[in-house]
Amino acid sequence: MSGCNWLLRVLVLGTALTLGGCFGWVDNNLTQLPTPWRRIQPAALPVTLPVSPQFPIIAARARTTGAIYSSYNVVLGNPTLLPGENRLSIDVHTLPDGPLGMLIQPPRVFPVPLYSTETLAETLAKEFPGLKTKVADSGRRNRYGEYDYALAQDATNTCVLAWQLISDHNRTLPRRIEAIRLEYRVCGTERNPRALLQMFDALILTLPDSILEIDDLTRL
Amino acid sequence: MTGSRNRRFGTALVGLLVGFGLSPTAAEATSTTPGARALVPGVKVEVAPAPGSGPAATPNALDDSALRYYARIGDVERMEAEIARLRALDPGWEPPKDLFTPQAAGPGVDETPFWSLVSAGKFPEARAAIAEQRRQTPSWQPSAKLLQELDVAEGANRLRGASDTKRWQDVIDAAAAQPEAVACNRLDNAWRLAEAYAELKQLDRAFDRYKTIVSQCPKAKERRDTIFKASRYLSPEQVRELTTIGATANPVAGEDYTAVRTVEGELETGRLLEKLGNPKAGPLSTADLARAEQIIRDKQDADGAIALGWYFQRQKKHADAQRWFADANGWTPSDKAAEGLILALAALGKKAEAREAGAPWQGKSNRVDQALKSVTNPPRGSGSGGRGASGGGAPGQSELSAALARDDFAGCLAAIQRMLTHSRPTAALMQQRGWCLMELKRPTEAEAAFAEAQALAAREPAKANTPGKSSSQRSLSDRPLDTPASPAQENAYGQAVARLATGDVAGLARDLPRTNMTPTQKAEIRASLLATEAGRAMDDKRYGDVLRLLDARKELTPEPRNLSLLRGWALYNMRRLDEARALFKAIDDRLSTEESREAVSVTSMATYRY
Repeated sequence: MSGCNWLLRVLVLGTALTLGGCFGWVDNNLTQLPTPWRRIQPAALPVTLPVSPQFPIIAARARTTGAIYSSYNVVLGNPTLLPGENRLSIDVHTLPDGPLGMLIQPPRVFPVPLYSTETLAETLAKEFPGLKTKVADSGRRNRYGEYDYALAQDATNTCVLAWQLISDHNRTLPRRIEAIRLEYRVCGTERNPRALLQMFDALILTLPDSILEIDDLTRL
Repeated sequence: MTGSRNRRFGTALVGLLVGFGLSPTAAEATSTTPGARALVPGVKVEVAPAPGSGPAATPNALDDSALRYYARIGDVERMEAEIARLRALDPGWEPPKDLFTPQAAGPGVDETPFWSLVSAGKFPEARAAIAEQRRQTPSWQPSAKLLQELDVAEGANRLRGASDTKRWQDVIDAAAAQPEAVACNRLDNAWRLAEAYAELKQLDRAFDRYKTIVSQCPKAKERRDTIFKASRYLSPEQVRELTTIGATANPVAGEDYTAVRTVEGELETGRLLEKLGNPKAGPLSTADLARAEQIIRDKQDADGAIALGWYFQRQKKHADAQRWFADANGWTPSDKAAEGLILALAALGKKAEAREAGAPWQGKSNRVDQALKSVTNPPRGSGSGGRGASGGGAPGQSELSAALARDDFAGCLAAIQRMLTHSRPTAALMQQRGWCLMELKRPTEAEAAFAEAQALAAREPAKANTPGKSSSQRSLSDRPLDTPASPAQENAYGQAVARLATGDVAGLARDLPRTNMTPTQKAEIRASLLATEAGRAMDDKRYGDVLRLLDARKELTPEPRNLSLLRGWALYNMRRLDEARALFKAIDDRLSTEESREAVSVTSMATYRY
């Protein structure tokens, strides 16, 4: 009889916990929408950018999507008269912490592959309205591997859009990070696109987890 | 939903009584629902004298089990469709007298639970329940109608599933396997089949399907909705043909097909007005323009007149623009019309009239306040009584004015940059830079420019604290009702607008109460925040919150069309279909566009589904 009472108490307690705590958890964790952007100090960014008088950091923002995506947006100075902000955006896709996190995952915040011919054309038209655009025939390489880019130009300005998916777990990424997406959009008055890409070539990721550069050893 | 069903059921009952021979007055006395209609024109239904009198004998033994089920659950739409179907099979057939009397189908087995499962879309469960019943009662046979309905419902379900996931060929295959699934009583599926053909670029077949619907389905409203849907895929000639067919083919007594005939005109009007409002669409032909003007004038449509005003303003036909903005303001006074009127008059050099046009809204509408700057303070960069370091004749000032007059915001930035090489930055100049950056979709830099303007304004105390020092501004601000924003408030407002554009919603909501802005500016920002939050709640499927936020926003400012559509979709997702449909219909009646027509169609589909 006393065993039955004990069992009943456990059941009641369990139900109360489920109703009180678990439902709260569900409310808090089932929303998989990105949080609103919030301003952060540039020092809190997971990236170090070379100092550039032409493209200073104007503002930095961050947001999360579910428990696995952290996104950062760095707005850079734009010395041109063209519309649109110069920026570097970073999305970090981490692995879920546990089985519950695996069950409840938000939709990807970036597509893989990052672009198709059609979506790239749409993006370029949106980012650089009225400019003549061209996708670079061959990619370039920064500290974290190969990346692709496109050019947009008019008589006085040159713009670049560079995009990179870092997903190399053999060397670059720790197991906890599934992938990192970088996108860099900059317009300047330089005619040479390499000058515009310099910042993207030289950026250093400073996430808490150890991210290795592809040629660390050769640099030593 | 239950209420709605009861209302519909009540309407049908009135129809039954009318058909039974009671006078309309007597029939109406039994129900408060106006607009009673017969189940099917020409069908007379007698109410059973008493429950338990047993099923009425049907000489030709048509299976009426589905009809009885629909009567029992009060699904009037489907009851009507079933009566029409049975009458098509046997024109002499009359609905049974005991339609609303509880029945047992077969030897002691009530089929209601199986029908309920079918109706709820639980097809495997229905089949399992039937099998179990047969195991328990081997002598029982399910009615042929039940089995047929189950087959059709499964087919319809497969079709919808394929359509939802855009497997167009599977939609066509499902319809071929179960043609009953795309009959008129399942209009939604018939539309989906036509859509599948259209998506597969088999436009002739799509046209055939639409043609079948508008010629075979009896209801004028269904034909009309079908033509609206078809217009998304078919050429104007094909739509014209459909309209002719829909208005004339197989008419049913009691249906008014006038509404079908007007579809083409409505589509044309919608297309014209959409084109009018789209800056990228290019100029309208003379005939189209004349037609649009005629429609707008006839309807005294203020929104349409504003669209027409902006159309002429873009074409640099400022006198025409002025006329249409003035008409819009005359029909329905609004700050949008006043804004257009100010800018059109300014472009015509009629600055005094422009200021007069803006006076009723000054200090109450930011769009009007912004527009008034072009007439009260033309060189915005060095404005506010010539605060620029070089005074009223600063180098680059005329260049800046010219750039602003032609909406050349890159030119505005260039002019300001040139001015800054000759003189120190001023609060007004930096504020102007902020607005030009906003126009160039560079909100982060704009926010910084407004912040800099704020700092500069604080260092210019005498001027910052006495806004509107120029004679023109003073004459306006002296009006007792007007409370123009101070430069500090303008800068704070600019920063808030920029923060909105960067998505800093949470931070802005936090800071808004202690931000120095006029009540009008605060209300505008708060309304924008609420709209953003409502959109977010919609994405998050928190439909109750969407309504709550939109209601709060509506207390601050009238609801624009896009948010009314959002409200409609929230209602739709909460299954408040009657309200959603009424709202979409009201929006569509004001200005019919592809999205409003789609909304009306989808809510109609939801009603016809199953």
